[in-house]
Amino acid sequence: MSMMATTGDIILEGVDLKKHFGSGGLLSSPTIVRAVDGVSLDIRRGETFAIVGESGCGKSTLGRLLLRLIEPTDGDVRYEGRSILKLSKGELRRLRRELQIIFQDPYASLNPRMNVGDIIAEPIWLHNLASGSAKRDRVADLMRTVGLLPTHADRYPHEFSGGQRQRIGIARALAGDPKLIVGDEPVSALDVSIQAQIINLLEDLKDRFGLTLVIVAHDLAVIRHMSDRVAVMYLGEIMELSETDALFDNPLHPYTQALLAAIPIPSPKNRQPKVLLQGDVPSPAAPPSGCRFHTRCPHARPVCKEQHPALEAAPDGRRVACHFWREIQGAGAGSISAPPPSAALAKRLALYQTWRERQDKPVATSP
Amino acid sequence: MGHEAVRQPGAEVHRVGNAAVAAEPPLLNVQGLSIRFDGAPKGVNVVDDVSFSVRKGKTLCIVGESGCGKSVTSLALMGLLPTPPARIVAGSATFDGQDLLTLTERERADLRGDRMAMIFQEPMTSLNPAFTIGDQIAEGIVRHRKVSKAEAMERALDMLKKVRIPAPEKRLRAYPHEMSGGMRQRVMIAMALANDPELLIADEPTTALDVTIQAQILTLIQRLQEETGTAMILITHDLGVVAEVADEVAVMYAGHVVESGPVEAIFEDPQHPYTIGLMGSVPSLGRRQGRLATIRGTVPPAELMPKGCRFTPRCPFSDARCGNELPPLGEIRPGHLARCWYAPLEQKRGAAA
Repeated sequence: MSMMATTGDIILEGVDLKKHFGSGGLLSSPTIVRAVDGVSLDIRRGETFAIVGESGCGKSTLGRLLLRLIEPTDGDVRYEGRSILKLSKGELRRLRRELQIIFQDPYASLNPRMNVGDIIAEPIWLHNLASGSAKRDRVADLMRTVGLLPTHADRYPHEFSGGQRQRIGIARALAGDPKLIVGDEPVSALDVSIQAQIINLLEDLKDRFGLTLVIVAHDLAVIRHMSDRVAVMYLGEIMELSETDALFDNPLHPYTQALLAAIPIPSPKNRQPKVLLQGDVPSPAAPPSGCRFHTRCPHARPVCKEQHPALEAAPDGRRVACHFWREIQGAGAGSISAPPPSAALAKRLALYQTWRERQDKPVATSP
Repeated sequence: MGHEAVRQPGAEVHRVGNAAVAAEPPLLNVQGLSIRFDGAPKGVNVVDDVSFSVRKGKTLCIVGESGCGKSVTSLALMGLLPTPPARIVAGSATFDGQDLLTLTERERADLRGDRMAMIFQEPMTSLNPAFTIGDQIAEGIVRHRKVSKAEAMERALDMLKKVRIPAPEKRLRAYPHEMSGGMRQRVMIAMALANDPELLIADEPTTALDVTIQAQILTLIQRLQEETGTAMILITHDLGVVAEVADEVAVMYAGHVVESGPVEAIFEDPQHPYTIGLMGSVPSLGRRQGRLATIRGTVPPAELMPKGCRFTPRCPFSDARCGNELPPLGEIRPGHLARCWYAPLEQKRGAAA
């Protein structure tokens, strides 16, 4: 995957993005939730960029801001170098075609009264891409592309399983020939075996259509597998931004270290007591002063409470928002040591793969 | 019943397996449990010929994907399955010498929340929003112990301290909505452990939680388990969680236990094609190893369920025999069982056919 990413060519850019929600009712004092609070990032053409964080960190809000599905309170979003906040109606429509989104819960995002063929055809019709039999052919083509049977075009969403519904959502996102797709937790609602199918599908489609993917997720294993670069968010801010392997091999920010340390390792061999993060994430309506992570940070010092750390440059194009990342890095905490699969497992997995490919072959050649 | 004919060889194997690993009798021993839902196609039990056991102080993890019957099994053990539609059609579940499945409703209620307790996935829907945390924990204590309300509240406070809830005196008077997801799950644990149960069933206790909170809760459960010697059945779909907490593992697929054994055996030497496919489907935490292995298709609906091994339509190794004849849970090594005609695979399916 990482071979695809060509550095320097920025497709989508967030500039100091802020999204503040809410205010008080008639009788209560206003509370403002700073869901996204000053986030800047560049997404490179052809890469898979992941935004990771725990619930309430603002990762989904950021994903929606990048597509202008919600309006930012402040800041700018630039697509191919142009701000998308001041587009004319026609330009915005073209933008909607080129930037697409896949949601976590495909069932909630599919109209239950429309059959699957119509759901997939809607963007084609909306953007005047094809009509009549050409449109039907295109729908059948898209369904085959995502692994659905074109003969199921007249069925309704409730007749499909969760994984198949996610395929429908993907087919619809592809219908307008997008350049970039944001996946908002695209596989987290799916069973493990189905999750793997959808991850492989997304990767295949990315290669085939030259897509840029932005994956919003909380599952770090999925992110390590899929993405080229990762932004780690906490309470509306980016804590660390890095190439994926570098981040997992040597996390710089104490929050990244804590996140990685918390992942259960799928090997019973070296169980060891974990250094755990204490407490819960504070409310984004009243984020802590200074560094937002200082209330849970094992390395916090007085200055962390006072001064807000900037997202500063670290070696290898990495960025980290911590006053003391240089010293903490020396502690070497948090890097993941997932033992390789045992010899017996590796052998059987290889055997499984061989037979699995054989199982797929007749399917691939059948019409 | 379709499974009757093939149950014998399976049952024999269990006896061999258990004798080899356990000197003292297990705390809970489930043998040949089959549960049927009214209206399901003939011969298709939602849980079919399921056997496993849990020893004192040990953790059994039941792993499987949605619809594999793992939650139905646990609800049946707790006596929480409504009949109709669910009917237990075969099997036994011996808890400390008593068969749970033959108890009266009253005896069940005496056991539940006392010697056996359960934690559910979504703490918000399992807590009553109209009562304080303290009232809800104390309720279970008053039901099973001869204590006053004040003593029960005292015990509830102790439990909140035990599950390390900050400011426990204040939390005793709080309502569920005033707490975060992680704190609510701690309350559920406090409630479940209030009467020092011998067996705790935890159904996806950390699935709804963030990863840092999940780590806190898992560590807490393990620490409490060490302190109290409670046996645990942990139901999960997360292989990482299994690897971290399990002593024994049972892998379920579409109502069958397809593989069971000590946790090391399952992870180091998995035998059933479903277990192997599942492990290949999980992205590794190390550097990328190329594409994920996948399991083809989805679980078939009940009316299309094969008579034999239910994994047949998705299994790369399957042939005509698999779909028609249910393989027994055969012993690979003492205590390590797999329900597959072709295990070990490299011997029976190794040569490129």
